[in-house]
Amino acid sequence: MMLAQLTFDLNTLPQQLINGILIGAIYALIALGYTMVYGVLRLINFAHGEVYMFGAYIALFISWLMGFGPGTQSSPANTVIYIGVMLLGSMLVCAILGMLIDRFAYRPIRNQPRISVLITAIGVSLFLQYAGALFLPNSPPPSINENVNPFQSAINIQIRPASSELLEQLQVAQQIYTTNNDQLAAMTAPSAVDVNAEELADQELVTIRTRREAEAAQREVDFDALTIRIPQGQLLMLGTAIVLMLLLRQLVQRTSAGRAMRAVAQDFDSASLMGINVNKIITLTFIIGSALAGAAAMMTATFIGTPLTTFVGVQPGVKAFVAAVLGGIGSIPGAVLGGLVMGIAETMVVWVGLSSYRDAIALVILIVVLLFKPGGLMGSNAVEKV
Amino acid sequence: MKFWAVRIGSILAAIAGAFLIEFLARQTLDDYSRRLVVLAGIYVTLAVSLNLINGITGQFSIGHAAFYMVGAYTSGFLTNTFIQQANLPPLLWLILVCIGGAIGASIAGFLVGLPSLRLRGDYLAIVTLAFGEIVRIFVQNSEWLGGSYGMNVPFQENYIWLVWLLAFVTIACSRNLLQSARGLTFLAVREDEVAAQAMGVPTTRVKVTAFIVGSAFAGAAGGMLAHYESFITPMTFAMDQSFIILTMVVLGGSGSITGATLAAIVLFALPEQLRNLPPVSGATLAAVFISLIAAVALTKKTESQESLAKPERRKRYAIYWIGGILAAVLLANALSFIPIMRETTYEPGKLRMLIFAVTLIVLMMLRPQGVMAHHEFSWAWLRKVLRIQKPVEKESAT
Repeated sequence: MMLAQLTFDLNTLPQQLINGILIGAIYALIALGYTMVYGVLRLINFAHGEVYMFGAYIALFISWLMGFGPGTQSSPANTVIYIGVMLLGSMLVCAILGMLIDRFAYRPIRNQPRISVLITAIGVSLFLQYAGALFLPNSPPPSINENVNPFQSAINIQIRPASSELLEQLQVAQQIYTTNNDQLAAMTAPSAVDVNAEELADQELVTIRTRREAEAAQREVDFDALTIRIPQGQLLMLGTAIVLMLLLRQLVQRTSAGRAMRAVAQDFDSASLMGINVNKIITLTFIIGSALAGAAAMMTATFIGTPLTTFVGVQPGVKAFVAAVLGGIGSIPGAVLGGLVMGIAETMVVWVGLSSYRDAIALVILIVVLLFKPGGLMGSNAVEKV
Repeated sequence: MKFWAVRIGSILAAIAGAFLIEFLARQTLDDYSRRLVVLAGIYVTLAVSLNLINGITGQFSIGHAAFYMVGAYTSGFLTNTFIQQANLPPLLWLILVCIGGAIGASIAGFLVGLPSLRLRGDYLAIVTLAFGEIVRIFVQNSEWLGGSYGMNVPFQENYIWLVWLLAFVTIACSRNLLQSARGLTFLAVREDEVAAQAMGVPTTRVKVTAFIVGSAFAGAAGGMLAHYESFITPMTFAMDQSFIILTMVVLGGSGSITGATLAAIVLFALPEQLRNLPPVSGATLAAVFISLIAAVALTKKTESQESLAKPERRKRYAIYWIGGILAAVLLANALSFIPIMRETTYEPGKLRMLIFAVTLIVLMMLRPQGVMAHHEFSWAWLRKVLRIQKPVEKESAT
């Protein structure tokens, strides 16, 4: 019954792959937080998805403070700087939130069995969701609306040339639209005199119709040319994610704090015997992981713009966790690889036409990985010792 | 002879108790409250059955709502398809479909139990959670089960006593299991799996059995719910439900049947009562929150001071918590001088999940073993508790 509905349209495959990589980069950023905390504490930090959710809200509030609120029409100069401020702002607030969660929820029970800490993590996650629901706005208007976002336009890459017939049609349609639009502009210009309201309304309708036709022609050309469409914002997102991951790599591999972090991940007790301040390193881990989640949240809130509620962190949280497990929990390159695989797997499910199951694929992958390769793709395959 | 007398006596007492609940509910309560009585019975069944997996066998499962859901949908589907042809008396039909739901859920329990052979601790937890979500997404996308709109279950009769009888049967089964040699193998798996295996306990079979039995009871509870409400949607069994049931087991004390039962009733009834309260002002909320944090922090600090004697410690705890309540009242009044704090109000019904979350966190900090810990109610236990406290008072006097 279900198999009959599957479609394998090779023409849309490249676009879906690109989409998968773009989503995957975000999952990878969130997954890094899970994997780092698991590395040092052996704790599944359920509250990480909620840190992500708060990051999205913080980005929104910062953008409102800077005057991008709902109804803004014109783009202020230097939008890039504003977006940078939003990014750093939500990273900072998320880092503080992550630190507070560790300090007040996890540290007091550090010596208790892992299950107790896991239950606390579930509790913190629920607490942030429902406490947030009391105070934060539900589905607020987007942080940067379409009028202002300078990265709205997309880069189009054509894989093969479109047929000349379609191109001609496109040209004609665009010409008609331009003529009509010019006429409309002339009629609404302040210098225009003696314009009948009825005529104006007619002209508006015609303009809209011709614009739609031109757009439809464009779509046909795009489809024929197998165009891959990458919104600039998402490209920026990918770039930022890569930069952050490289920074993280430098930090973990090249600095003494990073070395301490790896030592704690390898052996908690021995590390503290060697004079490493374990609590400090754990705090640092939470700060870095949460800041990365904040960055991911800010970028998805701004460039993808899913409706924001306080439960928005649950799905990305679960998927990023799966990504971390898939890559081998505790392994930083593993989290990045896992994120990309997750993103692509998800878009592949959409590609074959099972889009209603897109949230389930993560969980299926999780169960399969845990059953057959519990160490993950890049993790150690050591069996848990007793 | 005495053994059989006690056993038959308890069975009769359980049946009588169930009918008494039905009688009282019908005599004194309105429709809404009667529904709460039914739901309380269902939650007791769910909590005690999860306790079998989580508390007694130590397999940390946080996807119990999945079994509940499988049971509800299986029995609902059976009723939808076959009730016309079957032409049985409603009571018999209800019992049959609930058994059907239990069988469906236990098959699901078997499927989830299998990975528990290889996974332990938090990994198992995440698999059970994932399984719960997969089941929900699957049902949401299945037209023949009503999809996300939900499923109608054409069944008019309702039997409050049957729901509570199921709860009593669940409690009795758990208790009798713990009294038997087989039950000890369950406990052995919880305490130390490797040692248990070394002693010849078939750990694989024990773990899978726990999942099958626990999920069967949850499935039967699902069947009861579907036929009582006549309408179920996938969102009835969302992740929140699993966490609510988990909170009940953890609060009661993992492994304690008494604890799970009491916690199920309290945790179900208290938040329901909130709905009847007037809206809470921001001042009250902030005051309660701040005092709670202060009381928890002080208690935690005293706990770590090992030099203190037990009675002194108890006295301090009492001071902190009574002081905390007083502080909350004072602070609420003080804060309500701030206009924003006074004027923003919250519906108490919305605080329901927040209460579960705070309960989980505070409990893990102060008493991770739960209120009852691993104790069960018995007259001997009660006597012991009461007797323990007397010498303590004597000590403090000297």
